Amino acid sequence: MLERIYVTGVGVVSSIGLGKEAFFRALAEGRSGISPVTAFDASSLGRRYAGEVKEFDARDHLSSAELRRMGRCAAMAVAAARMAMEDAHLGAASLPDARTAVVMGTTMGEARILEALDHEWIVGGERAVTRALIPQYGSELLPIHVARGVGARGIVLALPAACAAGNYAISFGADLIRTGRVDVAITGAAEILQSLQFSGFVRLAAMAPEKCQPFDLNRQGLLLGEGAGLLVLEGEAHARRRGARLQAEVGGYGVSCDAYHITRPHPDATGSIAAMRAAIRRSGIEAADVDFVNAHGTGTKHNDTAEAKVVREVFGERRVPVTSMKSMLGHCMGAASAIEAIGCVFTIETGIYPPTIGYETPDPECDLGIVANAAGRGKSDVLVNNSLAFGGYNAVTVFARPGRLPSPRSWSASDRETPASPPRPREPGADRA
Amino acid sequence: MNPHAITGCGVVSTLGIGRRAFFEGLRSGARGAFRDAPVETFDPSKYSDVQVAEVRGFDPKKYLGDKGLRSLDRLSKLLIVAARLTLDDAGIKSGGVWRAPEGDARGPWPDRVGIVVANAYGSLEAISELDRVALLEDPRYINPARFPLTVSNSAAGYASIWEDVRALNVTVSGGSCGALDAMACSDLMLESGRADVLLVGGAEAMTEALFVGFRRLGLASPPPSAGDGAPSPGPRLGEGAALVALERRASAASRAAKVLAECSGYGTAYEPPKHAASLVHASADALERAMHAALVDAGAKAADVDLVVSSISGLEPFDSAELAAIRRVLADDVPVTAPKVDLGETLGASGAMAILSAIAFLHDGAPPRPVGGTLRGPIRTALVTALGYYGSASALVLRRASS
Repeated sequence: MLERIYVTGVGVVSSIGLGKEAFFRALAEGRSGISPVTAFDASSLGRRYAGEVKEFDARDHLSSAELRRMGRCAAMAVAAARMAMEDAHLGAASLPDARTAVVMGTTMGEARILEALDHEWIVGGERAVTRALIPQYGSELLPIHVARGVGARGIVLALPAACAAGNYAISFGADLIRTGRVDVAITGAAEILQSLQFSGFVRLAAMAPEKCQPFDLNRQGLLLGEGAGLLVLEGEAHARRRGARLQAEVGGYGVSCDAYHITRPHPDATGSIAAMRAAIRRSGIEAADVDFVNAHGTGTKHNDTAEAKVVREVFGERRVPVTSMKSMLGHCMGAASAIEAIGCVFTIETGIYPPTIGYETPDPECDLGIVANAAGRGKSDVLVNNSLAFGGYNAVTVFARPGRLPSPRSWSASDRETPASPPRPREPGADRA
Repeated sequence: MNPHAITGCGVVSTLGIGRRAFFEGLRSGARGAFRDAPVETFDPSKYSDVQVAEVRGFDPKKYLGDKGLRSLDRLSKLLIVAARLTLDDAGIKSGGVWRAPEGDARGPWPDRVGIVVANAYGSLEAISELDRVALLEDPRYINPARFPLTVSNSAAGYASIWEDVRALNVTVSGGSCGALDAMACSDLMLESGRADVLLVGGAEAMTEALFVGFRRLGLASPPPSAGDGAPSPGPRLGEGAALVALERRASAASRAAKVLAECSGYGTAYEPPKHAASLVHASADALERAMHAALVDAGAKAADVDLVVSSISGLEPFDSAELAAIRRVLADDVPVTAPKVDLGETLGASGAMAILSAIAFLHDGAPPRPVGGTLRGPIRTALVTALGYYGSASALVLRRASS
């Protein structure tokens, strides 16, 4: 029998609040974290809004030695990890260090460090490159900084799964506990705003001028965001033994790959549908048991229509409540599904559905039960956290009120069947020309 | 981990392309890394003493055809070719075409195959190219077709598109340990039934930006060799892609697949440095814990290990720490081999190169030029070790197939 996995602590650095309390308050109020970017000059691009984290000062959370050895991305992750440990009432002394995993997602990690190195090289040549900065770049460092920051000594795993990285990290961390490899997993993701990434989305014609309006008829694209979301996961035995407060249960997850286009989701969304169904099935429940869907909801034409298909296909006629927190946070890329997972914990704890703000005109192609503009309330026992990513990635994780999911079975022969998707004609020459 | 079957290998390396060429290269003692300068990836003329282990004459068109390669970077091409060769070698595809696209009772093949690949530095090629345009011209002029390459998982994403594998797609970033960690992730995925076959390994591409970074740290221009044809001491930056086809044993048996080797144990650990100011450090303690854990996981004893395939590359203090850990855990005379000396430091790919080397030795016997110990009898159990730059270490137990 597989063990139940619980969230026992959360920590968040976001554009709508630092720490669990501020973040929860902002979600309930439907506050926007969108503002003009100050970290770099985006003036030539004709776009300047993002969910930039303005109140985070790494010096409030890190020692001077720590500040010297890491960039903004890891600083946010370490700060959020410490908040999550505090929320879980876990200290370095009570952590089973060698049996604690750290699993972190990101898209581009310390992108500003790489940018600085690249600029030194381009302008001044090889000898202008700051040596001490070189070893600070590399996605593999993110979980290492977190492990060192909280005193973990087990597996350190970095999963650069682009915009699905948060769900990947949380779900893999949960699996490491389920299979008995570790007792505790510190999981989550972090991402920072950076100029090349910002320019790239403008050049893909994917960025909205001022507002991110997921599922709205007049949506104009995504806005970028940044931040870190960290969750402490524990197996049932470990959590109960130390009397931890169980905030939410981590249910099953589903992953798939479109194998269709490097940036766009498959228009039939078959991979994404399979992933959501797998997450629900692997939680031992049916679609009818799901109370709320946190959509990926980036606000781009392609994402939102494909995702609306997924929700309609999986939930049928029932108008399950749907929100995109990206209307408030912007798209925090690798960190998105981790920060939004903490939003799911918020809904489970409070019974409040965070709103999709800026929702004005329904799109008949995205005819969903959008929680529009003001927070909703309702049953909040079982939630689905959806994500899609560059590379054709789909990753879906289920979160539930403790005790509401059936006891997890062992992985059995019936799980060893990939749900067969219908044959998909590939778009001729898609991305091959 | 559950013991899984390795049913195919695909590799693009300085020793050769494809399993047979790679195994033959190892057997003959060819020195893939012993090259003077890159000729394909960047112009070496502005640097003195350039020694890199570049895959010479790599022509992806030979494997993938003429169409659609233009927007891809070198990393994606290396990985796609390795993926195609692996699927062919595992008997799942033939010449890049599914042998049985409709699959069997378990569904169509594309839905049952996934990719789990390690990589350390992503596409520095694309990032530095776009940075150059943004800085010297204007961010408005960066090429949107190259932008998706800037995310670390793009090579794996392109490989899934080219090979049409849809079950799952994972990129692991773990430096030299990455490919070993990818095997552990794959164990979770296979055991929970998310795929029937996983292409598992690693990839890293030579780029000028990567070379400059390592060279600036003094890690890319080794001192001259003794002159007797032996490689000079010190690490050389390398590149390549290596994958294995990993399956549950029952699944491999049900399709009567040939089994090259079995992967049966994994361990990993992290140890922080003693000093607050340190970041880079070599932890023998972490590797010792990882090796113990891998042996326990495999149900093996230290005395069962016939050969260690290490990540020794010519870089101190890492080599000494790795040897120290190996000597603490295993008998003093266990032979230790160091594929990086011949293949170069291939970073994210290096763990996979080591896994393929171990498979070759389990198959063909004695490795040339062990860096220590003596071989006694046949090689039935090999331990692959990897030591990271930041205090992490991983180990993997591979066994000869139980036929």
